[in-house]
Amino acid sequence: MMKIENLVKLYKDVRALDGLSLEVKPGQVYGFLGPNGAGKSTTILSTLGLIFPQEGRIELFGLEVFRDGKFNEENLVEAKRQIGYMPEHATLWDFMTPVQTLDVIGEAFEIPKAEREKRVRELLELVNLWDDRNRKVGKFSKGMRQRLLLAQALINDPELLILDEPMTGLDPTGIAEFKDIIREQKKVGKTVFFSSHILAHVEEICDTVGVIVKGKLRVEDNLERIKREFLKRGGYTIILETNVPVDFTGAEWKVSPLGEKKYRIVAPEDIREQLHDFVSARGAKILTMQVKEPSLEEIFLKMVE
Amino acid sequence: MFWGFRLEFKQSLRTKKLWVILGVMMLLYLPGFYLQKASGEEIETVQQAVSILINNVNGLGGFFIAILALLMGATAINSEIEKGTLRVAMSKPIKRLSYIGGKFLAHTVVVLMALLLTTLVGIVGLAWLGAPMGSQLVTDSLLLNGLLLLAMVQLVALGYIISTFIKSSSTALGVALVVMFVVFMIMPAIVQFVAAKDTLLSENPDWEAYQEKSEEYKTKYLFYVPTTQIDVIVSDATVVKGDVTNPSVEYVGIGHAIKSNLANLFNLVFLTLVYLAIAFYRFLRMDLR
Ligand SMILES: Nc1ncnc2c1ncn2[C@@H]1O[C@H](COP(=O)(O)OP(=O)(O)OP(=O)(O)O)[C@@H](O)[C@H]1O
Ligand SMILES: [Mg+2]
Repeated sequence: MMKIENLVKLYKDVRALDGLSLEVKPGQVYGFLGPNGAGKSTTILSTLGLIFPQEGRIELFGLEVFRDGKFNEENLVEAKRQIGYMPEHATLWDFMTPVQTLDVIGEAFEIPKAEREKRVRELLELVNLWDDRNRKVGKFSKGMRQRLLLAQALINDPELLILDEPMTGLDPTGIAEFKDIIREQKKVGKTVFFSSHILAHVEEICDTVGVIVKGKLRVEDNLERIKREFLKRGGYTIILETNVPVDFTGAEWKVSPLGEKKYRIVAPEDIREQLHDFVSARGAKILTMQVKEPSLEEIFLKMVE
Repeated sequence: MFWGFRLEFKQSLRTKKLWVILGVMMLLYLPGFYLQKASGEEIETVQQAVSILINNVNGLGGFFIAILALLMGATAINSEIEKGTLRVAMSKPIKRLSYIGGKFLAHTVVVLMALLLTTLVGIVGLAWLGAPMGSQLVTDSLLLNGLLLLAMVQLVALGYIISTFIKSSSTALGVALVVMFVVFMIMPAIVQFVAAKDTLLSENPDWEAYQEKSEEYKTKYLFYVPTTQIDVIVSDATVVKGDVTNPSVEYVGIGHAIKSNLANLFNLVFLTLVYLAIAFYRFLRMDLR
């Protein structure tokens, strides 16, 4: 559906994308995560031909749209017919009402008038702007603009939705509604690619996550597997209290004492049973044991370090 | 192309720039007719009427609409990048060339409408003054509008260049104003001075030699000032006949003036094409962020 290979983008001497590769498959909800300045927006703008990368290859719907520093505009326009894009912090035309805005965007897709009108109404109801349909966008709040931006991305009922930080500026209701819309898109077989730097936003609705750091893809996988992989590399932390001091020499885990009879143990997996045996074998008893599984947030932070 | 045109057309008609500049122009324009009426001087011939109209439209329109054209062009692209509307528009299945082509067409139409408005006000004003009307009033004002349109379109195109090379729209606005006042007003003054130095300012001032020199210099050294090119052409629409003691000013028409100043017409057209080529080429290759 969307394939990026070894993309390089330089802004003068800033290497914003440094050989980025990723692939979004049909039907996926792909969360594109990365800290500020990692290159998320740069990636998205490149796939739409809004900025010019220097090297690499981009494919959309099997059409090669970019290669060797050049866009194929025919293919790009063809691909864009089936794409909905929501930019990060953009405004729409201040002097238009939501109805006019969506109508203009619909015209760009050459949607017939009657169908356009129907679609405009559906979308404004979907994003809860129907009551404000005749107010000027210039007077809208940030969240309302964000909703309208989402609506305009959906006007052509796109196969692929590309959203750049779609949840910034939304209130909790807005976020919940947004997530519902994405789930609905997934249900009807659409593909969604969206960027965020907030893991909680991604966690509930994405089946695949890509993490970009300094212009390179760090990992790209399903969330569960990312978590498991991380735990394998030493993700479990256990806080242990015993009745007498225990000598941990010879243990295969990383142990650091927290007090006379209190220890922090880091292990790749759940080792509660082994720990029990180990402590009993040394004539001690476990008083309390606390197992801390890392939150996704922690995993994410570790990953982008 | 049509999509970009309609979008930009709607947008242009809603900018403050357009209405403020046209408003200020009218503030200067309309009282002129009252002054004319108060002076009690009659406009006797159609030629006289045409001559007044041409001077009004060229003098006022040539100045105010020129500013409008340059400023409109100078913020055409960069302000849209700042706002983000360009990213929304270009994420749709629209080619870059057709988008900027449509935009350019819209700006051309807006400028033309401003020119026609200026002309219309001029004609209505003349009618109100009771000037004789004739078909030459229409043909010559249309010819003049055509010429002025070429000049304004050149300024829009020059504005586009500024707009695609300067990221910040407020900086671009400043640069456009500097270009307008420094290049388009001070340069002509300098050139005029040089032309006058050996002719008018010598021991025996020679007005005709000055006229000739100044026209030659304007064509050669001010080819990039479209309003000056128009002035050169329009100045030949009237000729002074007779001798120094009994001069008679005769209006011979814009058509005649264009024919005898083809070099200036060429300047107008050629540079416009060059500017457009540069601006479009740049737009097709630029990052829209
Ligand atoms: N116009 C520009 N000129 C120079 N450098 C730029 C420009 N735009 C972006 N950059 C740089 O490119 C890098 C990637 O920026 P990008 O906007 O893609 O990051 P991001 O992941 O979207 O960040 P954020 O979460 O803040 O939106 C950053 O280092 C940024 O400073
Ligand atoms: Mg970004």
